[in-house]
Amino acid sequence: MTDAPLLEVTDLATHFETRAGVVKAVDGVSFSLARGEVMGLVGESGSGKSITGFSIIGLIDPPGRIVSGSVRLEGRELVGLPAAELRAIRGKAISMVFQDPMMTLNPMLTIGAQIGLSLEAHEKVSGAEKRRRAIAALAQVRIPEPDSKIDFYPHQFSGGMRQRVAIAIALLHRPKLIICDEPTTALDVSIQAEILAEMKELVAELGTALIWISHDLATVASIADHVCVMRHGKLVETGPVLQVLTRPQHSYTQALLDALPSRAKPGTLLARGAGTDAAPPPRLARRPEPARAGAGAHHVVVEHVGKRFQHKAGVLRLLVQKAGLARPLPLVQAVDDVSLSLARGEALGLVGESGSGKSTLGRMVAGIYAPDSGQVRLDGEPVMSAGERPHKTTTRIQTIFQDPFASLNPRMRIGDGIAEGPLAHGLVTRAEAPAYVAQWLAAVGLDPTFAGRYPHQFSGGQRQRVAIARALAMQPDVVVCDEPVASLDVSIQAQIINLLIRLRQELGLTLLFISHDLSVVRHLCDRVAIMHRGRIVESGLAGAVYDNPKDAYTKRLLAAVPVLPVAT
Amino acid sequence: MLGHVLIRLLQALVVMLVMSALVFIGVYAIGNPIDVLIGPDVSQDIRLDTIARYGLDQPLWRQYLTFLGRILHGDFGRSFVFGMPVLELILSRLPATLELTLAAVCGAALIGIPAGIYAGYRPDGLAAKAIMTISILGFSVPTFWIGLVLIIAFAVELQWLPAGGRGETVAILSVEWSFLTLNGVSHLLLPAANLAFFKLALMTRLARAGTREAMLSDTVKFARAAGLSEWTVLRRHVLRLIAIPLVTVFGLEFASTLAFAVVTETIFSWPGIGKLIIDSITSLDRPVMVAYLMLVSFVFIMINFLVDLAYVGLDPRLRRAGSR
Repeated sequence: MTDAPLLEVTDLATHFETRAGVVKAVDGVSFSLARGEVMGLVGESGSGKSITGFSIIGLIDPPGRIVSGSVRLEGRELVGLPAAELRAIRGKAISMVFQDPMMTLNPMLTIGAQIGLSLEAHEKVSGAEKRRRAIAALAQVRIPEPDSKIDFYPHQFSGGMRQRVAIAIALLHRPKLIICDEPTTALDVSIQAEILAEMKELVAELGTALIWISHDLATVASIADHVCVMRHGKLVETGPVLQVLTRPQHSYTQALLDALPSRAKPGTLLARGAGTDAAPPPRLARRPEPARAGAGAHHVVVEHVGKRFQHKAGVLRLLVQKAGLARPLPLVQAVDDVSLSLARGEALGLVGESGSGKSTLGRMVAGIYAPDSGQVRLDGEPVMSAGERPHKTTTRIQTIFQDPFASLNPRMRIGDGIAEGPLAHGLVTRAEAPAYVAQWLAAVGLDPTFAGRYPHQFSGGQRQRVAIARALAMQPDVVVCDEPVASLDVSIQAQIINLLIRLRQELGLTLLFISHDLSVVRHLCDRVAIMHRGRIVESGLAGAVYDNPKDAYTKRLLAAVPVLPVAT
Repeated sequence: MLGHVLIRLLQALVVMLVMSALVFIGVYAIGNPIDVLIGPDVSQDIRLDTIARYGLDQPLWRQYLTFLGRILHGDFGRSFVFGMPVLELILSRLPATLELTLAAVCGAALIGIPAGIYAGYRPDGLAAKAIMTISILGFSVPTFWIGLVLIIAFAVELQWLPAGGRGETVAILSVEWSFLTLNGVSHLLLPAANLAFFKLALMTRLARAGTREAMLSDTVKFARAAGLSEWTVLRRHVLRLIAIPLVTVFGLEFASTLAFAVVTETIFSWPGIGKLIIDSITSLDRPVMVAYLMLVSFVFIMINFLVDLAYVGLDPRLRRAGSR
């Protein structure tokens, strides 16, 4: 009994019976975990890594079903256990932490109430005892002032603090195993680094075993002893972290590693997803190339731009405010006096954590938002001044957004979506449009016959290709990319990065590339600007900033990025 | 918070003012009450005298200002038909409608929400399918028909419950209430059930849709993963998560039933406010109509205000930062 592993999963198979047929989400997975061991479970979306986690604690909802295999916790079989006995194990012997703490914590209940519910699930505790234990749990995960924070609601915490609360709940009954499903994916890198460090300490201190499910090889490398790589419901490779990541045996693991921009020489095409796409259509006569200025001249100039966001107060509210009976609505200074410039054909990376104002700045450059102060100019012409209709210049700047599903009209055929802008601005005639769209689809590596399809008929990566085609069909000189690869799997991300590198060269595009991912920016951009709280704290050549940061915030940011071990 | 309440009250005042103008103009456009009040054979002198007495010879704006001025003194005018102050008339009928509406809406919520949560929790079960089928009936069958069926079944054939009227009432603070006597409750049951049927269907479907969504949420997954029992998950998590739309519909249904329970009150001869307004429309009793419509808009504003306060009570995210 004592020499049995803590958890032993053998030939686990979880299938989903759907109308389209049986989906084998988990298909014969076996691994074992010793007491106190940290295991990383890595795979792309749809690989079955989360379903494996849920199968272990017996939380598979119909139409899903564990069809075969066994899960043994200290020798005790969990598959097929009655619901009540499984419930007694969940949260007590095995607990779980999820990706987005905003979604997992109930927004309507105080933190204290939620911790209390989890305590009551396995123990009889008095009200005072509950409160004392809840405060102790918060203190354990290093939440400051736990005795007042206990009465807070989830929305009053930052993302990192919320995840700490979720971890506190998971640790409540001193479980033998915690399953963490992408626990730091929704967090900024600096918060991720803190949570990773704290989690490592807690696990070592309490002797808890950990299954760390993630798509990100680097975070797994920094916490796990031992890693399993999953694909299509099967484990393709298992072994000690260092060995798997430095000397991968399976071609899929190798491909995953090759897809990472951090491991390639900046600016080169990534090994994965190098395609033989058609060349983009030539520049249209109706969109003449701007007069070429000398090299290094200012193409896009952002001058002292600022943007505030404030709720509009009505007449009555203003009256009541005047009388001193209501507080004025809060004001957010998203971008605060930012200046930068891009030379023609240059790629500038704009890096910052969430809330730094990078997207707002990008939207002002693209003429989507009017700045409250300052000006954006393209070849000397103002892009858009406050209150004015978008200037014609604005169509020479196009944007690619993060979520292609949200940015494409779900009820419009993608061909019509791509042709919409060029038609509206008279770049092509109705007769020319279909051929023009087909050329662009081919240029982004899609079958030209897809023009008649709707966005939901595409995968995430294909949709982002459509979004790129739509932006480029306007034949812009400048493209603002707002986190274009943030929601994609690494292999798809590599394809999109390659596409952007290629098109940028072929079309001589000027790129403003907004991202929170430092490795992607380094790979794609010549220069980089670091944004923090609405200001640019540091900018310069990418290599110089990354290798020799000057600003304290940049230093912290770079230090927080998890690094993959490199083969020696 | 105080500022927020103040803003809402000011908004309510503005809405009431606009409403009063609309109602006043609308009602005064639909016919001359003099034709109804006095016969055609009355002499011209008496006719002119009556018109002057009710102020009907004045231009519309002046009549409206006079009307507003009287309202400020709490005077909504006298009913042409009953010859008593309108406010007194309406307030004497309001309790009957109020208790009927409360019984209907609360009954619908108390049965509909649990039924809907159950149907959303076990959507493929036989019971859930039965609940959903009944709720479709509640939506599609007209109220008056259900009322007639209820009377035929329970009053005529089975003779369990009375078919109409309020029954015995008890006076509390000089207001008559039915629900405090057994006889009164037996009179209340059928009309309340009739009114509740549609609301029951609505609450059930809303609760079911909300529960189905909430059951798939990460909040519920996390709670289950922490070992919470299904009952605790439903009662403590799901109910809170689906509360906002339910409270909204509860408020809207409460207000609209209070104002427009006309059909049911007519079928069951319930001496409520709905019957009063129908009678006053047929006799062109302007002061009653105006005062009633003003009251209705007031009730809607107040209930919406209370619903908003309930939102703030239910969802901490709506509380402004700083006023925690």
